[in-house]
Amino acid sequence: MIENIFWTVPVASIIALAFAGFFFKQMMKNSEGTDRMITIAEHVRKGAMAYLKQQYKVVGVFFAIMTVLFSVMAYGFNLQNPWVPFAFLTGGFFSGLAGFFGMKTATYASARTANAARESLNGALKIAFRSGAVMGLVVVGLGLLDISIWFVALNYFYPIGIDDGHNLVIITTTMLTFGMGASAQALFARVGGGIFTKAADVGGDLVGKVEAGIPEDDPRNPATIADNVGDNVGDVAGMGADLYESYCGSILATSALGAAAYIGQTEMQLKAVIAPMLIAAVGIILSILGIYLVKTKEGATQKDLLESLGRGINISSILVIIFSLGILYIVGIDNMFGIWGAIIVGLVTGTVIGKATEYYTSATYRPTQMIAKSTEFGSATVIISGLGTGMISTTIPVLAVVFGIVLSFLFASGFDFTNMGLGLYGVGIAAVGMLSTLGITLATDAYGPIADNAGGNAEMSGLGEEVRKRTDALDSLGNTTAATGKGFAIGSAALTALALLASYIEELKIGLLRIGENVLEFSNGTTVDTATATLADFMNYYQVNLMNPKVLVGMLVGSMMSFLFCGLTMNAVGRAASKMVEEVRRQFREIPGIMESKAEPDYARCVEISTKGAQMEMLLPASLAILVPIIVGLVMGVPAVIGLMVGALVAGFVLAVFMANSGGAWDNAKKYIEEGNLGGKGSSAHRAAIIGDTVGDPFKDTSGPSLNILIKLMSMVAIVMSGLTVAFSLF
Amino acid sequence: MEINLYLSITPEALIASMLSPVEFGRYFAVGTKKRTRGQAMFFKLKRKFHSDYLKLDDINERCVPNEDGSPKRSKYIAIYRVLEHVPMEAIENLYIVTDDGRVLELQKEEYVDTENDALHLYQQLGPVKPLVASSLNPTDFCKYLTDTTKPVSVPKLAFVELILNGLANDPENATLDNIPYQNIDHMRGCLINLQKKPSKPNKTVVRSTQKDILYRTCKNGFFIGDNETMYYYPMPSKDKLEGEYYAWWKSALTQGFNY
Repeated sequence: MIENIFWTVPVASIIALAFAGFFFKQMMKNSEGTDRMITIAEHVRKGAMAYLKQQYKVVGVFFAIMTVLFSVMAYGFNLQNPWVPFAFLTGGFFSGLAGFFGMKTATYASARTANAARESLNGALKIAFRSGAVMGLVVVGLGLLDISIWFVALNYFYPIGIDDGHNLVIITTTMLTFGMGASAQALFARVGGGIFTKAADVGGDLVGKVEAGIPEDDPRNPATIADNVGDNVGDVAGMGADLYESYCGSILATSALGAAAYIGQTEMQLKAVIAPMLIAAVGIILSILGIYLVKTKEGATQKDLLESLGRGINISSILVIIFSLGILYIVGIDNMFGIWGAIIVGLVTGTVIGKATEYYTSATYRPTQMIAKSTEFGSATVIISGLGTGMISTTIPVLAVVFGIVLSFLFASGFDFTNMGLGLYGVGIAAVGMLSTLGITLATDAYGPIADNAGGNAEMSGLGEEVRKRTDALDSLGNTTAATGKGFAIGSAALTALALLASYIEELKIGLLRIGENVLEFSNGTTVDTATATLADFMNYYQVNLMNPKVLVGMLVGSMMSFLFCGLTMNAVGRAASKMVEEVRRQFREIPGIMESKAEPDYARCVEISTKGAQMEMLLPASLAILVPIIVGLVMGVPAVIGLMVGALVAGFVLAVFMANSGGAWDNAKKYIEEGNLGGKGSSAHRAAIIGDTVGDPFKDTSGPSLNILIKLMSMVAIVMSGLTVAFSLF
Repeated sequence: MEINLYLSITPEALIASMLSPVEFGRYFAVGTKKRTRGQAMFFKLKRKFHSDYLKLDDINERCVPNEDGSPKRSKYIAIYRVLEHVPMEAIENLYIVTDDGRVLELQKEEYVDTENDALHLYQQLGPVKPLVASSLNPTDFCKYLTDTTKPVSVPKLAFVELILNGLANDPENATLDNIPYQNIDHMRGCLINLQKKPSKPNKTVVRSTQKDILYRTCKNGFFIGDNETMYYYPMPSKDKLEGEYYAWWKSALTQGFNY
């Protein structure tokens, strides 16, 4: 029966894609509005597509090189599963496709949202949100489709039910490798998109707002279109690729852990492998239901709008909790209530992180108000208080993840800390639970840039006051949901990375068996069969303990990587922004009549500059993220790689929360002042707040979000390269 | 091409131009190429008026089209003691321009004092530019400063009243909210001083303001007057600014680092 239930997974993925297609078609039926609105939307669309085309060229070269490398490793030296090159390619392809569809939809939706805002708030909300839902549903739909295809295909070559369950371990660990393709694609999308968007934003603001005194979204600013393009390539395509990877990574890592935990019990093993996929499938259906619940009344307040989005997400989450119990009951998995408890823990952890993010970044609460207050004493104090608040804000998310790990581990293991296999499976299931409603939570994320662009379009098209008020309300809501979404992405990345850490051991097992090391021989002379060795056996065999300098070295390098990566991406934004500044200045200088609105700026040139800057600047940090785990593995071996993964996870997670929250708080502190507090616009407090916000821009939109992927990509590279590590490590 | 006369307040100058007020305002603020920018305020003047001091008879010879046939954008006629020598009857509409060249036209109305605020804050725009706290309403303030029998006076005065919110009646305890002025403690002190010493009507807060004014801090409108006549140019309501004059208002709210 369990084999039949599995087909729910591809069916759910098809349903998700069908609804995504339906929402897309519904959105396209709406008018883009006036000629001016259409022209602006076309500029943004063309710029976004030009960027993606360029990015895919660069990423294509990278994927070609990596595929050749994996093929040599797999077919030349038997260091890898022969499916890895293909799995790597499909992971990258589907991840890129998810970003592409999401961005294409977003660029078509913004003018339509602005046009709908001419009629009603609810109409505009519906278009923006359902267009965001296209992104959410494409991500989960393609994710589960990719998983389903690979599961069915590998099942054909490695039939389940024979070989004492080892085939299922091979299937799940092979599938896990497509996560590297997705991670690599996501890193390029996130880093490249992040650099693009902030280069355009900061560069455009520095000349446009500060030097020329031109307001935001003013068509006279040559960087305006690039700024709008940046919202799409960074916040839509980047976020989509990021969460695609988290979504697939959490399901695949959990399946791999399930396969390992129940080795020898084929039926239960299959149940443990399929359970996370089924929970994700149910989550898709319930997300679609939640999407339909998001609507509002005319003249709705900010609170009404937030409640409307919250209603969709909350009802989906509650239904996931109820239905997942049913799924676990039907599947007949061991310790059903324990596993169910882990799912609830995951959902609650995600919610707590989201709420904590809102508390530390929203101007409604004290922390951001205190940052705003510090602006009265100048820019230095606003930087200090923003950094301080960001650091303090790590407490709740970290504790939430700590409790999430402990509780999900204990629930799944039957309150037995020594039952590592099932306990870690529970941690993975918690990550799956957290991401089960991704279809709708990602919709609230992708909705933000659509609403933002709609506001920009309304502004540039000179639409009336009522329209602007409606798009402003939607945009402001988008800012809140974006901050919460980032918290959610970071939390899920931490849990997924932990599950990946455990999965790495399973990959080691496969790697050792592939090179013929069928027995683990310990220093005291005892031996264990590699095929049946437990996690603890591997920890002992490789001496993964804190007294082993290799582990410590790995941890230090992993922590350093988080900071190095942040530093490189932040400096990259600075350099790319300075090129944008030069270009905007040049256009003001050389194109007469821009300021008098008699001549149109060369928008495309600014898009091109941001694109080139982003592509050039993303190469070094992205290459480091891929090369360092390989080098550490080859030089210092498995203990150092595990240390590296732990160091990157621990430092990267905390750093990501800190950066995202500091940046968000600085942004909202500025908005708080602009609302008329502490002197309002034009006051010295405002000037200090602008400096804080500018510093915070790369924090929250480039480096912080990219860290999620760094953590996961380094784990994925370690997993895929485990064969190389066990065969060739120097020490 | 028709020649217009403009009385610029910042800086004080009489300028002839073949541009309309809106075109002139944009040109005055941002030029023809993006080299400089700056806030501007100017009155349109009647083409014909009499002045013994200003040399007006040869304007037609001095302000001629450019060699390529394009209109002469600006020809400075005078730059010193202009305000005092332009008769009140010659002053027409006021144009206030943001630093990126958005122009708002204000028409004069009769000023009726309906305010009950005890204290006021005036930014003098010309001929001198102090920021002054005062217990006088705009009419009395204008009369007071243009009373040439007093040793400290000017023949004519252009000024704007700035918002004080709660400070206007309770300078000691009121919160600042959206009041952006620098050295706010000193300003509070001046207001408290005025409250405690009713005999002293004015107190200088800033001797000479060097920076642009934030249009959003304008309480009711702009004033120009001498000891006998005062013109009042009310600012549109906030609703009107956000609706009808949105482009200007948004530009006026944009923070540049010259503030």
